[in-house]
Amino acid sequence: MSESIASLIAEMEEERTLAQVKEALDAGRDPLSIVEELREGMAVVGKRFEEKEYFLPDLILSAEIFKQAIALIEPHLQAVDTPSRGSIVIGTVQGDIHDIGKNIVATMLRCSGYDVHDLGVDVTPQSFVEKVKETGSGLLALSGLLTLAFDSMKETVQALEKAGLRDRVKVIIGGGPVNETVVGYSGADAYGKDPAEALKLAGIYLG
Amino acid sequence: MKEVKLHPRDTMTAEERLRAVINLQVPDRVPVSPLIYYFAARYAGINNAELYDPAKFNKALDRVFYDLGPWDIHYYINAYHRELISFFVPMKVLEPGFELPPNSIRQFLEEEIMKEEDYQWIMRVSKLTPRYALYRLFMERWIPRIWEHVGEGWRSYAFMWPRLISAGLRWRLEFERWKRRGVAIMYACPTEAAFDNFSMARGMLKFVEDLRKRQEEIAQAADALVESFVYSFKMVSMITGVKRADLCLHRSSNDFISPETFRKLSLPSLKKLVERFAALGVPTVLHCDGNWDLNLEALRELPAGKAIMQCDGSTNIFKAKEIVGDRICIMGDVPADLLALGSPSEVDEYCHRLIEEVGKGGGFILASGCELAPNAKPENVKVMMESVVKYGYYQDRAAEQARKIA
Repeated sequence: MSESIASLIAEMEEERTLAQVKEALDAGRDPLSIVEELREGMAVVGKRFEEKEYFLPDLILSAEIFKQAIALIEPHLQAVDTPSRGSIVIGTVQGDIHDIGKNIVATMLRCSGYDVHDLGVDVTPQSFVEKVKETGSGLLALSGLLTLAFDSMKETVQALEKAGLRDRVKVIIGGGPVNETVVGYSGADAYGKDPAEALKLAGIYLG
Repeated sequence: MKEVKLHPRDTMTAEERLRAVINLQVPDRVPVSPLIYYFAARYAGINNAELYDPAKFNKALDRVFYDLGPWDIHYYINAYHRELISFFVPMKVLEPGFELPPNSIRQFLEEEIMKEEDYQWIMRVSKLTPRYALYRLFMERWIPRIWEHVGEGWRSYAFMWPRLISAGLRWRLEFERWKRRGVAIMYACPTEAAFDNFSMARGMLKFVEDLRKRQEEIAQAADALVESFVYSFKMVSMITGVKRADLCLHRSSNDFISPETFRKLSLPSLKKLVERFAALGVPTVLHCDGNWDLNLEALRELPAGKAIMQCDGSTNIFKAKEIVGDRICIMGDVPADLLALGSPSEVDEYCHRLIEEVGKGGGFILASGCELAPNAKPENVKVMMESVVKYGYYQDRAAEQARKIA
């Protein structure tokens, strides 16, 4: 009996995951159910990361396999929209261009079924506000590695307040020196110390 | 040189104090060593781009030293020539005053500077010219890929050598000045360990692929470079006059790799190098950025009394003391956020705890977690410096202990 797609991606079996996805598609299986199974596998990866069984390279690798699997499935999805768990705007705040952590979080959120709008690095408070308005996102994820990013995070939260959006948008922050103190300083709602915590927070705020 | 005591109650010079803690002995008091760069500019009211001017940098640093110091150990990081930074971090870089506004902070780009065939190149060249492999790797492969204007082949050597020599000689003059003030010098020159160099130069995504497909090449290439690391250190040490080495380990923490990967791919060449340095009577400063909690046990394999582990606030420094403190001097770790956002009393409380717990029995240097945050509050920095005088004298602690027993 073949192994499940979820367990293969959780074990980071790149070739076997992709082969299994192809096989399932050829057998006429509902593409959405395959996507769902891939997400289940990614949830296992996240859990193992949290438990320190997996580390950053494992997250990156599993996300890569996920992306390749989705590329195989996409042509079969036709006009059917994959159900989204919610919309998130993410970016590295103004004055900071570090993006490794932010990119990994964005990918993990996508893999988990969220619509992720990644604004890149050095993003001004105004750009964050405009994107939140445009997309109607309920969650804003701010990243920064520099201590100077604390001020940009604060300014972004203030800009959100000024635009009258703060009540309906949760703000989470992350990056090397970020902790509970920075949450208080910036006016954000919570922080995640790693991608697994970011996923958990997205789950709490968006479901 | 005249012996200078930094504080009236000191019975040791800063150099003696530093040597004592590396040897895991109890000094007269806990030494303090902040890693200061951008903070100096902010404090002195100049912009970050102006730090490339040696006169302005030194003036700014002096102002911090005389207003907020003194400190025991000068932990410098100014390359003065932007291209020289690549010897330390082999990545493309955006600099304030060049690609970034003058008051920004230097930031590195994740690009593929090291090609996959470079692993084989390193092994080949290490056989042909074992002493020069590291220099050749930078001069012939990485520097020309990072800086287009430097050029390839002999142009790279011609461009970099004069800058290397002039920076080295400038450091030496600066070190003499610091020594005259009674301050010890941390190390001869900042250097990145081989595994971590590969990780940064390959770029995160490519290196993750290498960790899967090219493990042997990573380990063998890192091992092949050991001899040239030693030789490079000897050269720089000769120029700067300091007999302590530095190995930055920016990509060996558990934030990046598993403890198994550390043991298998990063530790072997690191261990070999620390042992080689130790045999030369040279201790090594290990700049351990990120969270090292799960690597601590493995660090016990390093020779005892021959290294400093610098923690940046991510590693549980109290655990580090417990697990490896009987073999390695622990340094750290007043966190950036505490210095930037905390109150003086919070900083005082944390420094006190560090001195009491991590400083117990010696083998400890109080320091900022990695670089002092540029936006650290000056009053917090002063509290950190003063805490070693307030709480750090071992004689006071022994007296208190005796009082308690009585």
